[in-house]
Amino acid sequence: MPETAAVSIRKLSKSFDGTEVLRDVSLEVKPGEVVSILGSSGSGKSTLLRCINWLEQPDRGDIHIDGDRIGVSDSGKAMSRRELASMRARLGMVFQGFNLWPHLSVVRNVTEAPIHVLGLSKAQAEERAMALLEKVGMVEKRDDYPYTLSGGQKQRVAIARALAMQPKVMLFDEPTSALDPELVGEVLGVIKDLSKEGYTMVLVTHEMEFARAVSDQVVFLDKGIIIEKSHPSEFFVNPKTDRVRRFLELEAPVV
Amino acid sequence: MDSSAWGLLAYGAWTTAWISGISIAIGVILGLFVALLRVARIPVVHQVLGTYISLARATPLVTLVLFIFLTAPTMGLDINRNVAGIIALTLNTTAFNAEIWRSAFNNFSNEQREAALAIGMTPWVYFRRIMLPQITITSLPGLVNEMSFLIKGSPAVAVIGVVDLARVTNRISAVTYEPLPPILAAAAMYMVLISLLVWLQRLAERKANRLAV
Ligand SMILES: Nc1ncnc2c1ncn2[C@@H]1O[C@H](COP(=O)(O)OP(=O)(O)OP(=O)(O)O)[C@@H](O)[C@H]1O
Ligand SMILES: [Mg+2]
Repeated sequence: MPETAAVSIRKLSKSFDGTEVLRDVSLEVKPGEVVSILGSSGSGKSTLLRCINWLEQPDRGDIHIDGDRIGVSDSGKAMSRRELASMRARLGMVFQGFNLWPHLSVVRNVTEAPIHVLGLSKAQAEERAMALLEKVGMVEKRDDYPYTLSGGQKQRVAIARALAMQPKVMLFDEPTSALDPELVGEVLGVIKDLSKEGYTMVLVTHEMEFARAVSDQVVFLDKGIIIEKSHPSEFFVNPKTDRVRRFLELEAPVV
Repeated sequence: MDSSAWGLLAYGAWTTAWISGISIAIGVILGLFVALLRVARIPVVHQVLGTYISLARATPLVTLVLFIFLTAPTMGLDINRNVAGIIALTLNTTAFNAEIWRSAFNNFSNEQREAALAIGMTPWVYFRRIMLPQITITSLPGLVNEMSFLIKGSPAVAVIGVVDLARVTNRISAVTYEPLPPILAAAAMYMVLISLLVWLQRLAERKANRLAV
């Protein structure tokens, strides 16, 4: 039996106000794989990522998470809020702007969903949270509020918050784009550790060196179409299209 | 002023406090529900509530009190003065509170909502755990402000014969022929009630500022 894909996207299309933003996008992410989505601004990277957890609803095509279809229930109707929530709980998302909840301390940000979505006890959730804060190096800040943290610290907490749900797949949408350059490294370091631990990840990023180092598969989006999909050793060294070659010259000048 | 005058004043202050207190308590909660229903934009319900809010905000309290007291019996409702007063005050303050809650809803960040949905919260869990605690804190200064308006407007219930703190001063001066002392005493008591609220408001604002950073 073939291994079930962690994420399977088939012929996905999406328009905003009559403008097609994604067209016939298909993509398989195997368990343990790290897939980077590259492309210039406005090419549809965020939209693709947000379709995976149904923050955006595609017009056509389907998405399966670990073999189960998201957004549409077996009867063919739109999923109920409850069904959708439980599908989304299997996906962790990290946003460019962190999106922490400002009224909760660091540790409460991490325990909130395990307690109120998974039904863990406070003690269980805290144990889990502390282990994750340890992993991202934020243990000392456990009782601080988000507004006291630097961008890099916020993003590390946001990663711990997503991991606390023990998701099948982690989705990252430009996790370091809002950070001061000197803080980028600490966040990329955490993501790199996750890739070594075998987490399945889909990553939108402009950090070319990083994408090259962690990815098993690189996908290039151009105006909503995947025009290249290959291993990083191929993608960065020997791009098949002129479009990608030009992109790489602009984004990662050869040193 | 003798001791019976002070007794009357205390009685009036108590009447003002409990009638306002009940209206405030119901009005804050009801205002939240009205705001929720408006934000949900259910056809018809949305228009009906919009009309109610415009009317209630434009109508002087005295008019509203009289209207409730005089029309209730014609609709077969047997209500006493106090209840009529509370209904009128509540209808008035609910309308203002609904607008305060609604603006807090509309200004709430969509990023936090997306983080909650993405992590697997249902909209209800998101509302209860993420949104409500924050909009309560950001709405509090406005709500407390409206509470003090309500207390200052509450003498309107005197037109239907409720003996509140304002009305009781008339009674005292009718006996003593000295209107000034009871009025000053009543003013002092209003100030105590309001300054309690202002103190609450400062606390709330301090908390709200911390959240806004
Ligand atoms: N909610 C929306 N409503 C209307 N148009 C949208 C919406 N979201 C995205 N778009 C449009 O869809 C296109 C693709 O947007 P998307 O955010 O997916 O691009 P991106 O590749 O993530 O770009 P960036 O690198 O700037 O983040 C853009 O033209 C954008 O303006
Ligand atoms: Mg984007």
